[in-house]
Amino acid sequence: MQSILKINLSTGETGEYSIPVEWERAYLGGSALATRLLYPFLTPDLDPLAPDSPLLFLNGPLSGTIGPAVGRFVVCGKSPATGLWAESNCGGFWGAELRFCGVDGLWITGKAGRPVYLWLNDDRLEVREAAAVWGKDTYESQVLIKAEIGIPNAHVMTIGPAGEAGVLFAGLYCDHGRAAGRTGLGAVAGSKNLKAIAVKGSKKIPLAQPDAFARLRSESNVAVKADNIAQVTHALGTAGAADYADYLGTMPKKYYHQGTFENVDKISGSTMAETILAGYSACHGCVIACGRVVRLEDGAKRKGPEYETIVGFGPNLLNDDLPSIVRLGEICDRYGMDTISASNTLGLALHLYEQGILTEADTGFPLRWADPTVAERLLHLMARREGIGQWMAQGSRRFARHFGAEEEAVQVNGLEVAYHDPRGVSGMALVYATSPRGADHNQSDYFFVDWGQAEASLGLQYFSKNAGAEKSANVARHQDWRTVSDALVICLFANVPVETLLALVNTACGYDLDVEELIRTGERGWNLKRAINNRLGLTRANDKLPKALLEPYPDGPSAGYVPPLQEMLAAYYSARGWDPLTGKPLPEKLSSLGLPDVAHDLWDS
Amino acid sequence: MPIKFPSPEWLNALNEKLNTDERYAKIAAKWEGDLVLVFEPTGNLKEKLYYYLDPWHGKCRRVEVLQGLEGLKPALVATATYDNMVRILTGKLDPMSAMMTRKLQIHGNMALVMRNIPTVLDLVRCARECVDEIL
Repeated sequence: MQSILKINLSTGETGEYSIPVEWERAYLGGSALATRLLYPFLTPDLDPLAPDSPLLFLNGPLSGTIGPAVGRFVVCGKSPATGLWAESNCGGFWGAELRFCGVDGLWITGKAGRPVYLWLNDDRLEVREAAAVWGKDTYESQVLIKAEIGIPNAHVMTIGPAGEAGVLFAGLYCDHGRAAGRTGLGAVAGSKNLKAIAVKGSKKIPLAQPDAFARLRSESNVAVKADNIAQVTHALGTAGAADYADYLGTMPKKYYHQGTFENVDKISGSTMAETILAGYSACHGCVIACGRVVRLEDGAKRKGPEYETIVGFGPNLLNDDLPSIVRLGEICDRYGMDTISASNTLGLALHLYEQGILTEADTGFPLRWADPTVAERLLHLMARREGIGQWMAQGSRRFARHFGAEEEAVQVNGLEVAYHDPRGVSGMALVYATSPRGADHNQSDYFFVDWGQAEASLGLQYFSKNAGAEKSANVARHQDWRTVSDALVICLFANVPVETLLALVNTACGYDLDVEELIRTGERGWNLKRAINNRLGLTRANDKLPKALLEPYPDGPSAGYVPPLQEMLAAYYSARGWDPLTGKPLPEKLSSLGLPDVAHDLWDS
Repeated sequence: MPIKFPSPEWLNALNEKLNTDERYAKIAAKWEGDLVLVFEPTGNLKEKLYYYLDPWHGKCRRVEVLQGLEGLKPALVATATYDNMVRILTGKLDPMSAMMTRKLQIHGNMALVMRNIPTVLDLVRCARECVDEIL
């Protein structure tokens, strides 16, 4: 990989950091490599919003190569929402453009004395005044910055007003509505007075065997385009899965408290495609194009919502009005707030209000299910940290805790649960309980495996959606595999055979890895994320699910079932080589992964 | 006489099954769309096969053995190797797994599929129940 550009916003100092060659091979890139790079700096006493808190943008070895859906990058650090490992993964064109500048990462520390944005044009870096864009939303900021630098096809990563205000689920946004939404790294950027980073490059991406890579890349793109998952996500968007998720009982409704919602078809990806779809959008070099462009009654073209946003502002709030979901998603994107955390926290507000824990004296107006105007009003308050919004802006755990009802928040370790209910697909129970960044569906999209995507070539087996401890080792294996995905950094919708992906990595990097070595890089990354979190104070007691997910649905396809979490966890620790008492990776496991220094830190100091 | 898969007799038996099975009639009540099953030659199958079905509102209007797809624009085309089709029809491969792991390729109206996966799964059940022998 290429070097990383280090920038200290306090001093203005910059420098190039060369990634140790042995780490490139052991971690590949992306968030796995970021764990190794940031390990010394993510300490318990580090305030995520302090100047010395790092913000690391990193590509993978395939990013920008026009390989199969690899136009992605990650941003990593310490989460202000969870106090744990933070990472978020983003599409668009920004990461590829960064690579074209001749660097594979930006490692930002410090705090600028006033709002600034960075402008990287090949080798030239400028720190520019951002006074004119501070306060602007993420869409306006991108337009204004491109106009100021005078290069329309530059790519701008920016925070919105939510990141500036320190909303703890603020994200970073580029290329219209592409988001690194989760874990609150937009608030970290805001705390540094860093509004945006514009990039434009013209260099070639280095490849070890360019001819062999080109042939493989072309073949794999043809295969991805023909794949069923790609066809569904292209034709219907990621919300194309809504009907099936509803049928299986994996789609939460009414803040995870209701098993049925009769109007799911009104808000599904299929309905969106047949009613308001006006076009498609794709990330760099992607043949899938899962992005939606929709047209509402005002005639303007907008970003269309993906599955999480559809469910979060739809069935989660008992809202079956698709145009309103589009608008609520856009409000979040413009403010720069993660739609999962924002909609989850909205659902919590309605739930607490229904329970009588919140009253009109707290909220200033009555809260109602199925009322998008209430949702919109709360989103504005949240982003501006006004009224009840000052508590909601801190995420569901702190919000509920403030009102004495922390157990009502559907979150794990401070990150709001995504919209794949473990009462419908039990594998997600383990995924949410053990994910290094809280209740997260991307560190392992195991719901796909529970639906049937059990790749034998990866050593995965197919278990019933309600199976228990017998699937724990399978979940661990899938987490390792997805850590490879996040290292490369490849889109989860690119259903590429492992042998093809392995060949792409080997020809891009000049390696001779086999499948087991490839997956072992994922296992290494997963264990290092765990070790970072253990050092930050995470214990076995953190591996849990919120109350709502351990209570059976009264109705619907998943009625009466709750996943046997404790049995699953016991089998999981055993499969992982983790201590069942503390939840820490055992010294011999860490040493076998080439992490003896980490074993020493966790067990001997 | 046992029904061998694949054969025109099997296709006709499936047609009859789809027109008489009460469970299928209920689950597939909203289905509107024809499909072609394409069998890629592997194992004991030496030539590509094209089986046409026209399911409609819980029944089946027509089946036909085709020579190819020329001139046709079915709502769906489902393609798999013969070996994988056999695994699906003998219950050794879950149809959802087959679709999600590149073993059963679907082309066409994806909204029809995603809205009606229970119908797809029940059609597979009916197809399985029509198989007595494998080629």
